[in-house]
Parts: sequence; structure tokens; C-alpha cells
Amino acid sequence: MISLRSLGNIDRKIIFAALFLSVSIPLIFDFRLPNRITKEVRAVYDFIDRLPPESAVLVSFDHDTATLPEMSPMARALLRHLFNRRLRVIGLALRAEGSSIGNGLVHAVAAEYNLQEGMDYVFLGFRPEITSAILGMGENIARVFPKDFRGVPLDEIPLMQTVKNYRQIELIISIADDDTPNYWINYANARYHEAVVPAVTAVMATTYYPFLQEKQIIGMVPGLKAAAEYEQLIGRPGDASVGMSAQSIAHLLILLLILIGNLSYLSARRRR
Amino acid sequence: MDSGIWIAAGLTLAIYSFLYRDNPAYKFAEHLLVGISVGYLIVIAFKDTVVPKIIDPLFVHRQWLVLVPVIIGVLMFSRFVSKIAWLSRPALAIYIGFGAGAAIPANMQANILAQIRATVSPFAGIDSIGGAINAVLIAAGLICTLLYFYFSKKHEGVFGKFTRTGIYFLMIFFGATFGFTVMARISLLIGRAGFLLRDWLNIIK
Repeated sequence: MISLRSLGNIDRKIIFAALFLSVSIPLIFDFRLPNRITKEVRAVYDFIDRLPPESAVLVSFDHDTATLPEMSPMARALLRHLFNRRLRVIGLALRAEGSSIGNGLVHAVAAEYNLQEGMDYVFLGFRPEITSAILGMGENIARVFPKDFRGVPLDEIPLMQTVKNYRQIELIISIADDDTPNYWINYANARYHEAVVPAVTAVMATTYYPFLQEKQIIGMVPGLKAAAEYEQLIGRPGDASVGMSAQSIAHLLILLLILIGNLSYLSARRRR
Repeated sequence: MDSGIWIAAGLTLAIYSFLYRDNPAYKFAEHLLVGISVGYLIVIAFKDTVVPKIIDPLFVHRQWLVLVPVIIGVLMFSRFVSKIAWLSRPALAIYIGFGAGAAIPANMQANILAQIRATVSPFAGIDSIGGAINAVLIAAGLICTLLYFYFSKKHEGVFGKFTRTGIYFLMIFFGATFGFTVMARISLLIGRAGFLLRDWLNIIK
């Protein structure tokens, strides 16, 4: 008979395999579990929904490829909402790898809505030194980004002829896997009073909750769960919605393992 | 099938093979990742920064004032030669001066003053029992946690009770952070599992 004590010594390879199965089976059989929409995600959706058409929204891709499975669904859902509302998107990256990722994603989602580069959206590329880039754009975007990602001077891009600095931008969304949204809050919000939304990995979520209280951020989109909520809000279930069922089953498995581990520990201690 | 998918699938399996034990396939994939990341960073930094901010202004627009920040930047490299290493100090001083000047007031405003206001302001807008409990919890959490980090007085007696409460608040924070971390890591596994099952093996649509 399997004792509680022996369960506490499960080979870690079995745990890895069980975790992989707990994630794969829901993906294969594609079953969906309900996902409640949280206040902070709803706030982002409502804010974007209330913006007048043609408003400019800056989307900064501040992440690298390692976190793509988490970042990409939320970026896609946010871009779909922005483009569907006919808002003008200015994409850029403050992390090097974010430039190619962002450029590809903005173009792919814009193509779904038959939008024209330069008129409806633009991708500016990457700039290092986050503080100077954010502060510089508050004065003059063209000074920080003289050309867009394709190498076209900004004064030749119709969209950028009406958007010179933060005064013409209604919202900044930082899609990040690190503390870059902090810089947007510290400089773009505190100094220029810009509305900021961090769309971050779940790991970073607790860092940004305190900023909600004082309304330094409009709301936030943290992790795959929030991405699934956003997909639900825009009525386009995608990778995040499928992934959330796998996420829930994996969480149940981890809870079970924590329970077994603790029971095994208590059993071993009692015996001593 | 796209050869890129096979390469990506092979590299994914090579990285995950570390879960069994360290092996040459894992090392190869890891070194490849580091090499490509650095190479990519250099190319992007050159294309998106050096060309539009230095080469174009100097050689296309003849803006010679750009030479001033370029020279200051180049001075940073003097650290590699011990005899002229002192030349990097003015450049570092400018960099640190700008960084501190920009960061200190902004951080004070966004992370200290606004957060202090956020701790007190809920008391002004209490309209329900839930709101009152929230306001007290936020204020108590802040005060007790700050007291825990006050080490000039022994944590005992009434003061010790406050610091102990601070530990409980910290534990709740760590628990929430750990929960979010697990969620993030599982999301990455879901992404890779989805790629292997959908794009590579075509098991899911």
C-alpha cells in the first residue's frame, strides 16, 4: 500500500510528466471553464471603449521572446479592441526583442481590419535608455524616434503629423514582462498626467496593484487569465481562453501536490 | 511542414530535456539562445539607435553638435585602458547626475507621496462596512509592515505584536506573489505545449 510518507518522495520526473499531461489534456479536448471578469480588466476595456474614434494610443512592447505565450494573447486582444474601435495605434519597444515582436503583431492584427500603415497605425521601433526615451517623447516624439521601424522619417508619416507628443495621446499601454511600466507611471503619468495601463505577466501583477488605489493606472491586464478575460470582453476567444482551462487543471494538480507534500511532512514528523 | 517548426520543436525538447538531467542537447540550445539574443541586440541597437541617432545626423544632416554626446559616450570606454580610465568619470558623472535628477523626484511623487495618499484616502470615502474594513486593512498593513523593518528596537511586547502582524501581512503578499508566479510559469508551459501539440504534431486544431 502507498503510504503518505512515500507520496512525499514522488520522483520529480513523475511530477513533470503529470504537469505536462494536466496542461495537454485540456488543450487536446478543448473544454472551457468559466472565467470571471475582474474589475481592473473591465476598467481598461471601458476606458478604451469610451475613447473617441481616431484617438491616438501608444502601445509599448516592453518584453522579450521568453514570455511570448503570456504576452502575445493579451497584446493581440488589446490591439483587436483598439483597431476595432478605429483608434490610431503608435507602437514602439523599450526592450530590444520587443521591436520585432511588436512590429509583427501590430501588422498582423491591423491586416485583420484592412488598416493602412502610416494612416491608422505606425511602428516606431526600439530605443534604449528608458528614462530618456519616455521623458523625450513627452516633449517631441520625432526627436526620440526620427524614423519609424521601416526607416521612413516621422514627418513623412500622416499619422505622426498630428501626434507630436503626449498631449495628442490619450492612453499608454505597456505590454511588459519586467518593471518597465514603473517608468511609464513615474514619468509619463506623474509628470505628464498620461493615462497608463500595464499589461504584464502574472509574476509582475502584485507590483502594480498598489498603483490602482491612487488611480495612477487606469486598470491592468495581468497574466493569461486577464488576457482570457479581455478576449471574452471583445467577443473573440483565442489562445488565452483555451489556455485558461489548462491553467486551472494545472493549478488543481499543484494544490493537490502541496496538500500531499504537507500531509506527508506532518505524518513523518508525528512518527519522529 | 515548415522547417522552422521542426527546428523550434527540436530546440523546445532540447531545453525541456534538462528536466531529466543536464545534457549536451540542452547546453547547445541554451548557448544558441544566448548567442542569438546578444547578436540580435547588437543589430537592433545599431539599426535603431546608432544609425538614426549618430550616423544619419552626422553624415546626412551634418549636425555636428551630435559629436558632443558621442564623445562623452566614447569616454566611457576609456575604463578599459587603466592609464586613461579617469576620462570615464566626467561621462559617468553626467549619466548618474541625469539619472538621479530625473528619477528621485519622479519616484518620490509616484511611489512615496501617491502611496501615502492612497493609504489615507480610503478613510475619506467610507460608504460601507466593506469599505471601512478595506481602509483599516490597508493602513494597518502599511504601518505593521513598516514597523517590522524597524530594527533599532527589539521586537517584543506591544511593539512585537505589531511587527508580528507585519510578518503576517508580508506572508500574505509572498503567498499572492508565489501564486501569480506559478500562474505565469504554467502559462509558459501552456504556450510550449500548445505549440508542440498544434503546430508540430497537429494533434489539436
